[in-house]
Amino acid sequence: MTQVVLFNVFNGLIVGAFYALMALGLSLILNLSGVINFAHGGFLALGAYLAYTLIPYVGFWGALIAAPLLTAALGLVIERVLIRPLYGGDPLYGLLLTFGLAYIFEDVTRFIWGAQSLPFQLPAWLTTSLSSQFFFVTGYRVFMIVVVVAAVGALFAALNYTRLGMRIRAGTRDLDTVSTLGVNVRVLRSLNFGIGIYMAGLAGVLAAGLLGLSPTIGANLIMPSFVAIIVGGLGSLLGTLIGGLMIGVASGLAAVYFPSATEAVIYVMMGLVLLFRPRGLLGEEGRLH
Amino acid sequence: MTEANSRAGMDRRSIITSGLVLAAAQIASPFVIRARAADAVRIGLDNPLTGTYAANGKHELDGCQMALAEINAKGGILGRPAELVVEDSTSGDAGVAVQKARKLIDGDKVDFLLGNVNSALSLAMAQVSNEKGVLHIVPGGHTDAITGSSCHWNVFRVCNTTQMEANAVAGALVKEYGKKFYYITPDYAFGHTLEAGMIKAIAALGGERVGGDLTPLGSVDFSSYLIKAQAANPDVIVFLVQGDDMLNALKQAVQFGLQSKVHLAGAQQEMEPLEGLPPEARIGTWVMEWYWNQPGVPHVAEFVEAIKKRTGRVPTARTWFGYVSIWTCAHAAESAKSLKAVDMAKALQDFHLPSEIALGPNPVFYRAGQNQLIASLFVGDAQASGSAPDDLFKVAKVVSGADAAGPLEESGCKMTWPT
Repeated sequence: MTQVVLFNVFNGLIVGAFYALMALGLSLILNLSGVINFAHGGFLALGAYLAYTLIPYVGFWGALIAAPLLTAALGLVIERVLIRPLYGGDPLYGLLLTFGLAYIFEDVTRFIWGAQSLPFQLPAWLTTSLSSQFFFVTGYRVFMIVVVVAAVGALFAALNYTRLGMRIRAGTRDLDTVSTLGVNVRVLRSLNFGIGIYMAGLAGVLAAGLLGLSPTIGANLIMPSFVAIIVGGLGSLLGTLIGGLMIGVASGLAAVYFPSATEAVIYVMMGLVLLFRPRGLLGEEGRLH
Repeated sequence: MTEANSRAGMDRRSIITSGLVLAAAQIASPFVIRARAADAVRIGLDNPLTGTYAANGKHELDGCQMALAEINAKGGILGRPAELVVEDSTSGDAGVAVQKARKLIDGDKVDFLLGNVNSALSLAMAQVSNEKGVLHIVPGGHTDAITGSSCHWNVFRVCNTTQMEANAVAGALVKEYGKKFYYITPDYAFGHTLEAGMIKAIAALGGERVGGDLTPLGSVDFSSYLIKAQAANPDVIVFLVQGDDMLNALKQAVQFGLQSKVHLAGAQQEMEPLEGLPPEARIGTWVMEWYWNQPGVPHVAEFVEAIKKRTGRVPTARTWFGYVSIWTCAHAAESAKSLKAVDMAKALQDFHLPSEIALGPNPVFYRAGQNQLIASLFVGDAQASGSAPDDLFKVAKVVSGADAAGPLEESGCKMTWPT
């Protein structure tokens, strides 16, 4: 029994790392722009489908690089045209807009690629199990961890050691002052949105290898991302990372003892956090005014 | 300065007004009926076009449209043109399905109601169709209750019951692979009855259930369940999950290399998830309710060609369900020489489908007193590809429905007719 529990904890960390990747993109956008991006799942699905379309031309590795970039480019366009007019207003408008966008994305992907699930082909050496004892540690899951660690590492490095990152961090504290200091805030928000959507597109490509590729893939994965942010704390990227890992492990443990509750357990965690520490584990007070 | 809340030309009032108008249009829409040919016979299809079951719903729709074209080419139903009114029931919202059913019956005045892929939605819609006395054909909702404990005189079902599927595959599994079974079951009506049916059929052959998990519908990660399954040391892991759940579970099981330790199988399989799987994951022993590659069986090849020309792909079992459903409506009307639901329902009792619709090697008929279509079941193994790139299933045995279905008394159906 302990073996099953340990396996599930370890596996939960792997899945949690993936949730964390999604949630980090969402958190970035929320922290700086105050926009609750319900369409994040839609961008994830789009990244996955673009990768599927590109694989015959550039192979899996080419698609892994190109699809998130294309998704981020689309994100930039949407930010400029649809979301920019809503800055400074009620966060509800942003939420409503992105909520509608989520539905549009789902129907557009269904229209272009069909309602049918599509077979996403991974390179063969990635899909085999690495050890007989730890059979659930497949090459692909290790690859996912490597990609997530690299992406998160790059994100934290960029935020802490580049000028853009410094401006983003400053902007989440006080955007007015940053603007007064001469930084082009519009470009800053666009780039930040683009980075967030890049993470979503990357998560999408990873998800397609793990799960089936269907138009509803985004809708299924968006809620754990929000829960990860709430549990980890609004305003804190490290909190979001920890939140993602926690809900992954919680889901894995629930599957051992009480399988019907694997989905419910993450919402129970969210409920407990909201009751006893509303700003989340590492969050800041009064994040959404 | 942060961005001022300005939008050129649009102020808050106009946005709210346009929002209200849009909302009113949505609510008002049941009463805005497009002009239709006054004397057409209308068939209402209330099936998922969005969500998890969108692909299944789309294929059933393809079959319906194929049948409709053939019927109209032959002069329609009772000499009148036949028309299909399509509504999206969503994949899981019973409220929407029931609302659309009422809209079709009261607003569009359909003579027949078709639906639903989701068993639970089928049951909900059956309440409405029974209340209104409209002939209701369920193309692809599998839970036993539809023609069992919740059967109605006006509700007919094309696809198999979960018990029939279990009975068809149980023998093959126990004989070939062993007696210890672990179940991965979707946690809703269909899953529960399918697992119960499997346990009963396996137990009758000396097998036992060594464990199982009820997985939430729409689960994306099955690794925890697969870890537990492997730890229980079964001979066979039975995947009862369907659609995208089946796809994820099988994909992950093959990534874990479980197929080299344990045999993977299930009670119901369809082309839709098989096509979505990478080729190395197309494995396992399953039951299909209809398969396109039936060499030597009359009329099947023509049907497959016609569907390929119309939709660009081979028909799936769902396509056949939709096809049979529409043709059932036409035959019911022709046999009864009327569109009165009671007369048509009586005419369908023990009705045998003609071979160009049955499209299988055994006789296919609606069992009297239960309204359940007794068709064949195809037991076999999934394969990466066979004689053609879309030949994904190797049929080992065709079980006749009459053998797989238990006696009528066991179904629990007590049918009462209106006086």
